[in-house]
Amino acid sequence: MAAGIPAEERLTNLVVALMATEIGLTKQQILDNVSGYRQRADAGARSDALEKMFERDKDELRKLGVPVETIGEATDPNDLREARYRIPQAEYDLPSDIDFTPAELAVLRLAGSVWSAESVSGDAQAGVRKIRALGIDGDEPIIGFAPRITARDAAFAPLQEAIEKSRVVTFDYLKPGEDAARTRRIRPLALVDYEARWHVFGIDVEADGDRTFLLSRIVGAVKITNVSFDPALRDGAGDRALAGLEEVAANNSALLEITPGTEASLRLGRRATPAMQGITVPFVDVHIFADELASYGPEVRVVEPAALRDEVIARLRAVVEANAEVRR
Amino acid sequence: MSAQPKPLLAADRVRLYLTLVPYLLEHGQVSLDEAAAEFGVSREEMRSMVEKLTVIGLPGDSGYWQQPQEMFDINWDLLDDEDVIEITNDVALRRVPRFTAREAAALLAGLQMVAAVPAVSDTGLVHGLIAKLSRGAADAPAEVVVAPSAIDEVRTVVARGVQDGVAVSFTYKAPDAEPTTRTVDPVQILITNGQWYLQGWCHLRQAMRTFHLDRVSDPQLTEISITHRGEHVPEAFSAAADDGEVTVRLPERLAPLLSAFFSADGVEALNGTVTAQLHLADPRSIKRLAARFGGALEVVEPGIARTATREWAAAGLALYHQPDGTDAG
Repeated sequence: MAAGIPAEERLTNLVVALMATEIGLTKQQILDNVSGYRQRADAGARSDALEKMFERDKDELRKLGVPVETIGEATDPNDLREARYRIPQAEYDLPSDIDFTPAELAVLRLAGSVWSAESVSGDAQAGVRKIRALGIDGDEPIIGFAPRITARDAAFAPLQEAIEKSRVVTFDYLKPGEDAARTRRIRPLALVDYEARWHVFGIDVEADGDRTFLLSRIVGAVKITNVSFDPALRDGAGDRALAGLEEVAANNSALLEITPGTEASLRLGRRATPAMQGITVPFVDVHIFADELASYGPEVRVVEPAALRDEVIARLRAVVEANAEVRR
Repeated sequence: MSAQPKPLLAADRVRLYLTLVPYLLEHGQVSLDEAAAEFGVSREEMRSMVEKLTVIGLPGDSGYWQQPQEMFDINWDLLDDEDVIEITNDVALRRVPRFTAREAAALLAGLQMVAAVPAVSDTGLVHGLIAKLSRGAADAPAEVVVAPSAIDEVRTVVARGVQDGVAVSFTYKAPDAEPTTRTVDPVQILITNGQWYLQGWCHLRQAMRTFHLDRVSDPQLTEISITHRGEHVPEAFSAAADDGEVTVRLPERLAPLLSAFFSADGVEALNGTVTAQLHLADPRSIKRLAARFGGALEVVEPGIARTATREWAAAGLALYHQPDGTDAG
């Protein structure tokens, strides 16, 4: 029975069929002959429904990284009625000159284990499996180290997809200190984990300049538009993003007085350089740094800048108010 | 891979077949259990997938059914009698596919993260691996960058202890406590949210403990071989049995941030506000976390924790009062 053939069977048969052909198969050949379509056609399924199914299947395969090639009519490449489809082996296969040593596999297994988010972790494991399928067995696993990356921001996945497809995105972004979120329109180029927070680096379309946004301040959904941009813009974007954040940190520093021997002096001391009166600590984001400084209570006093000092004072005041004495 | 296998979607199964076939062809005969573990699925799922492989094949031709040699086939007796998989006829999918953009991105970011781990940086392999993964990807992966973390003497010495299997001793300064000298059998270094923690058997406390490496100073490698290597590593921020309970209230949208510090239980959400119970050895030590939330988190109970929080913030605030009594803020 046609309906009894599950999608994975039809899709896998499609991959096999498209790999086995050099010259490509027409849509009609596929619908008539590939198991999964064939039975549906025999059972009287409408041809436009089958064609739609084939279109969806093609997209599904491409999402899995399977390179489905469309060969158009030579005289009119836009006429897809006589188009042929195939999967070129050379683009499908992992290049044969790429191999991995057992020591490299051990490193990759550790690298694949760092993600706590389920979907990303699944991708990493699938990648490691491909290497093991080459017949490579790793060295003893690297034990004693448990690095973890968290990517719990909802904006992470859609931004990654938009970068892959080189598509403009829009999202509402709430700058701290502002009452309402403002809609931003950017060409996203890279995702950056800096000081344990995810940022997206891109080009702000309106301002026409490089910008970095904190994912945790994106309000609501990230919308992927149909507007694409030149993928070449992505080249070297990661380095540029990182350099940008480091420059911000270098230009933004706070003068602090700390009580020696306290938690504040230990935690801040690592990042600090001594100053005439206290220590100097670089920071990227005044609000995030103010959160940390507030946690140290009386162990630290902000001398300057004033903006940071005001933020810390406002937080401490709010803490006192939120935890006021309860009258019973 | 130890997680409970989840039901697979059609696309997951296709992806699995594309790697399973070359894996099986490369390895010859593979037990069901081994293949199931390798692919992170249940044994029955693996059996069913291998059985269904035999309906995959080349397309028929103009109404003719496929010939047997045009279909995948397996050694049925071996599977039925011995739970061992062997492909006896293959028609395609012999080669391992390229990495998808997502797979490459996940591994590339993971590599940057582990590059800081001394056991990895010692190998000098990261650079070459990044090039191989990039070249082996079907589509250009989205660039996902993990900023490198600085490695200081404390991290180096503690990592050495883990690798060499010897105890390390150091001065540990917990918040609001006098410094103590500890000797610890290192079991694992946990790196999360940009922070490094040593988890190991503390000779002083005679128990597994987690140490924040920012609070560690004067690290020394000892010559004491560790005796608690196989010890179960507890969840980093798990509660001890005798811990006190603190009830806090905060906006629901901020609740995920708590997990970075504590394992919270008894979490209850109502009208966008979450009430959670946290476990701390000393309930008053909640003051630091509460202050980090800048008033968005309210300490509900016990009273001593709420008072400690208020006084902590008030003492901080007092630093900003000018001697003449005017408010500097």
